[in-house]
Parts: sequence; C-alpha cells; structure tokens
Amino acid sequence: MNVQFSSSKISTDDGLSPGETILHVDNISLSFGGVKAIQDVSFDIKKGEVRAIIGPNGAGKTSMLNVINGFYHPQQGTITYRGEERRKMRTHIAAKQGIARTFQNIALFTGMSTLDNIMAGRITLQKRNLIWHALWHGPAQREELEHRAAVEQIIDFLELEHIRKTPVGRLPYGLKKRVELGRALAAEPALLLLDEPMAGMNLEEKEDMSRFILDVNNQFGTTIALIEHDMGVVMDLSDRVMVLDYGRKIGDGTPDEVRNNQNVIDAYLGVPHDE
Amino acid sequence: MLYREAGDFKTNYAADQQTFPIKSERWLFWAFMAFAFFVVPFFIDDYWNKAVLMPLLIYAMAALGLNILTGYCGQVSLGTGGFMAVGAYAAYKLMTSFPGMDMFSVVILSGAVTAGVGILFGLPSLRIKGFYLAVATLAAQFFLVWMFNKFAWFYNYSASGQITAPERSIFGIAVTGPSTAPWATYLFALSILFVFAWVARNLTRGRLGRSWMAIRDMDIAAEIIGVSPLKAKLSAFAISSFYVGMAGAMFFANYLGSIEVTEAFGIEKSFLVLFMVIIGGLGSILGSFLGAAFLVLLPVLLKNIMVGYLGWPTDLAAHFQIMMVGALIVIFLIAEPHGMAQLWRLAKEKLRLWPFPY
Repeated sequence: MNVQFSSSKISTDDGLSPGETILHVDNISLSFGGVKAIQDVSFDIKKGEVRAIIGPNGAGKTSMLNVINGFYHPQQGTITYRGEERRKMRTHIAAKQGIARTFQNIALFTGMSTLDNIMAGRITLQKRNLIWHALWHGPAQREELEHRAAVEQIIDFLELEHIRKTPVGRLPYGLKKRVELGRALAAEPALLLLDEPMAGMNLEEKEDMSRFILDVNNQFGTTIALIEHDMGVVMDLSDRVMVLDYGRKIGDGTPDEVRNNQNVIDAYLGVPHDE
Repeated sequence: MLYREAGDFKTNYAADQQTFPIKSERWLFWAFMAFAFFVVPFFIDDYWNKAVLMPLLIYAMAALGLNILTGYCGQVSLGTGGFMAVGAYAAYKLMTSFPGMDMFSVVILSGAVTAGVGILFGLPSLRIKGFYLAVATLAAQFFLVWMFNKFAWFYNYSASGQITAPERSIFGIAVTGPSTAPWATYLFALSILFVFAWVARNLTRGRLGRSWMAIRDMDIAAEIIGVSPLKAKLSAFAISSFYVGMAGAMFFANYLGSIEVTEAFGIEKSFLVLFMVIIGGLGSILGSFLGAAFLVLLPVLLKNIMVGYLGWPTDLAAHFQIMMVGALIVIFLIAEPHGMAQLWRLAKEKLRLWPFPY
C-alpha cells in the first residue's frame, strides 16, 4: 500500500504511549433478570494492541462490547477508560470519547450512500451548528470539504472508490462489512470494537479483512478489541486473547498461552460442567 | 443525448457535492427558475393564482417540512394540519398585535412559534416510534384545533370564530388582504419557498441531515456513532414544524385570507400532506415538490377535462375526480413504492446510457 496518511488528517493519537492501559474493566457483572451474562470479569486493553475476546456462543462476548461502549449498564464493577472511571454512560457520549464499533449483524444506514455512511462516522468531529448549515456556503461547506478529504483517505485505504456513491443497501455482504469498518474508522477512534468482522465471509474476504485490520492497527495505531470465531484469524491477528465461557473469564494471555490452556480446550471441546 | 455527464469532469470535492452535478441539469433548473420568477408574474391571472399556483407553492412548503421529519428523520407525523393551524393563528396574532410588521417577518416568526410547539409535541418521539408515534402526533392535531376553537383570545373574540387577514405588505406592495394583485402573492410565496427549499437542501446534505437519516435508518447504530437521539429528533421536529408553520401562515394570510380552523386545518390536511410526501418520495427535496404538484394539479386538471371539455355535470365530475385521484395514488404506489422522486432518479439513470439499454 502506498497510501500516504498525513497525521493531521486521520489520527487516533490520544496522548497515550503504546503499552499504556487504555481501558480497564474491573469485576464487571451484568445480568438480565435471572440470566447472568457476565460474571465478575476483569481485563484490560493496552494502547496499540489487538485484543481478542473469544468464547463459545452465548459466552457474553457481545455483551462485554456493549458494556464497554455504554449500551448495557453493568450491575457491578467499574470501567476505567483513559484514566477516567465510569459506571453508567450513554453510547453517544462513549462515541465522543473515541470508542467506535462495528456490529455482528451489519448496522449500516441503508438509505444512504457509502460516502454518506462513512461521513456519518465523523458526526462527532463536525462542529458547525444549524445556522451555518442553513447558509451552507462558508464555514459549513469548508468543514464539510475538510471531512470529505479525510473520508476519501479512508475510502482509498479500504478500496471502496468504485462504490462511493452507491446506496449501501445494494452492496454485497463483504463490502457492507468493509463500509461498516470504514464508518467506525472515520471517527478516528482511540478504541475500535469489532464484533465478528469476518462472520459469514469466504476465505478471500477474510484475508482482505484481516489485512485491513492489521493495517488499521499498524498505520493508524488504533487499539482494537475484536470478537471472532475463526480461531486461525484470531490467533494470527491478536496480541492478547481473553476467553469467556458462560459469562466467566476462563483464560487470558498471548495466543500461545490460550491455545494451551486446559480450561479453554475444555470449553471448546465441550467437557461437561460441574455445576 | 440531452442528459449526460460525459466530459463533465469534477476536479474538487465542492464540485462533486453540488446539488445539480450535471451541467444540463443545472441549466434546466435555472431556466425553470427564471421562467417562474420573471415570466409567470406577467401572465398570471386570478384563476391561475388561486386555483393552481398558490396552493402548489404552499403545499410544497408544507410537504417540504413533513419530508424533513418523516422522510429524513423517519418520524411519522399526523399533526401537520394542527401545526399549520399554529402557523396561521400565530400569523393572525402577529398581524393584529403588530400592525407595522412586514409580512416576511410575520411568516418567519409564525414558523418560529410553530417550531416551539413542534418541539413540545415531538417529545413523545424520544420514547415511542412508528405507528405509536403517529397516534401521539394525532393527539397534536386534535388538541391544537380544539384549542383554537375553544379560546376566543386566538381569534380576537370575533363573533364568527373566523380569522381574517388584514392588509399587510412588503416593500410597500400588499400581499395579504382583499386588494392584492395575483403576481404579488405569487412572487411572495415563490420567494419564500425558493429560499427555504435551498435551506432545506443545505440542512439535509450536511452533518445535521446525516444525523437525521442515521436515526431513520438505524437508531441504535446512530447513537453508537455519536448521534444524540434527543438532539436529532427534536431538531427534526423543530425544523419540520418551522416549515409547516410558515406554510400555514401563508395558507391563511396570502392564500385564503379568511379561515375557520376546523374547516381549514382538519385531519384531512394532515393526510393530504402525508400523501404528498409519500407519493413524491420520502427523503427527497424534489419529491416534496413532485408530490405537492401531483395532488394539487391533478384534481384541477381532471376537473377541467371533465367539466370544461367533456361538459359533465359538476357533481358527477367531483365524485369521479376523487375516485380517479385515489386510483392513481394506488397505481403509483404499486408501480414505484419509493415515490415520484425515485421514478425521476431511474429515468435519469436510463437517460445517462441512452440509447443503449445497459
């Protein structure tokens, strides 16, 4: 890739140096009525790493992402994001603080074009108010064009040039996933949450997506938390892996450590539980 | 051959983002505007003004407002008639309380008053959506009409309960009251519509418009990318009501001159404007105009054909016209559920490739 990224345009610099803890989750418990989705889980995400969360179906992986970006409110425990402790928050405020995510089931704005979808990712970065927008010519247009230039970098990066003006409802599945990544990336997030970015893809699309994830991590320095079921992909991409099963953390460490963890092997191979 | 983009290159993002990206389209638009502004006023007579052009302009304004709310932000509203009534009564109170005020300010301020009322009735949208919200806005429709009937302060304690527009002017030219020239009211309404259609286009193409469309297409994802649902929904209600309020003010002051609220702003007004938006095309500025044109012009055209040309009795023609308009709405929606704006879009795609099919 010979794309130039001027740091002034797309940057995810947040004053933290690589290796510092960006997010710390402490003893989180989340339940829906009698269903205990997450039980007393603690882990951290460090700046600049690719952190995977894996586990069998219903283990609480997506719930964990939902807790991190404020969609669910845990009954117990605290979350420390960039040194700031929080318990309850609204998702749009999490977005303003630099947490972006993609969804397991694509959640694009189907009535809008690819370009508009990615531009929408920059809503938190655009500041001009209603009056300027009503007049358009002048500050509002200038701001719009600045952001368009930044979005074009992302379009270039994700190789979406040919579908720039196509309504996303018409796109095939693999491209939709890529547009969704673009939308999340457009917000210049400090922490990018990817919920099964490769679900339902064929081998070639998976390879493309893996390459994009690594490039995002390398070139933008974006910290990534990722849920994925394809073990080959997870073990290759991630720096550290956390394993959940029935809402509990059963393993945490480098891919090699996790691969050799007896609890993890049991969870995946289906050893009966003692309970 | 008329419509093509070959050779029409864009070298910067501003050119790529303009409203009419293709040269021939741009020319067509400005030629049409020049015709509307500089030719029509010289030939307009009272019949064309009252039966065709004024309703067209005013309903286009109301449809534009509802399209912002329903088409762009996805919040269904059945309160349009009630909000038009707010605009009309606000205009009446402003005109009678401040006789020196020019008509342009009256219309804008009436819109602003309606925007406030719109925010109030938009509050339920933060909790409920879809059909349930439609029912909640229906409450606005009935409550507002009841209120303007109940409290005599709104119609200045007149015996008939009607409100009648006194003569007000702009640049010394009367645009309301009994002694107005057709060209004056026409140009007044056209100018306001022109400016605010441009404003609507500006609002919908930028950050605000995208936050509305995000809420419409998937509200949870919208919130996760940083759209505040409260701000997006209430701003859509405010701006939509602003437009509808201005339409109501002009409907009363410039078009009819004298109204009674249950008759002029009943539930059928709400449905009429909603039909315009649906037939014209949800989420399209052009669609608001096409929808208004369809539902204003078609009955007039049918009436002229049946009564004027075929010589049928007027009552038969009136019934037949209602049936035909209804049937045409159904046919249109089956043929193109996304409205006339979508038809135009498809036609343009075909024209780009013409004479080749692919």
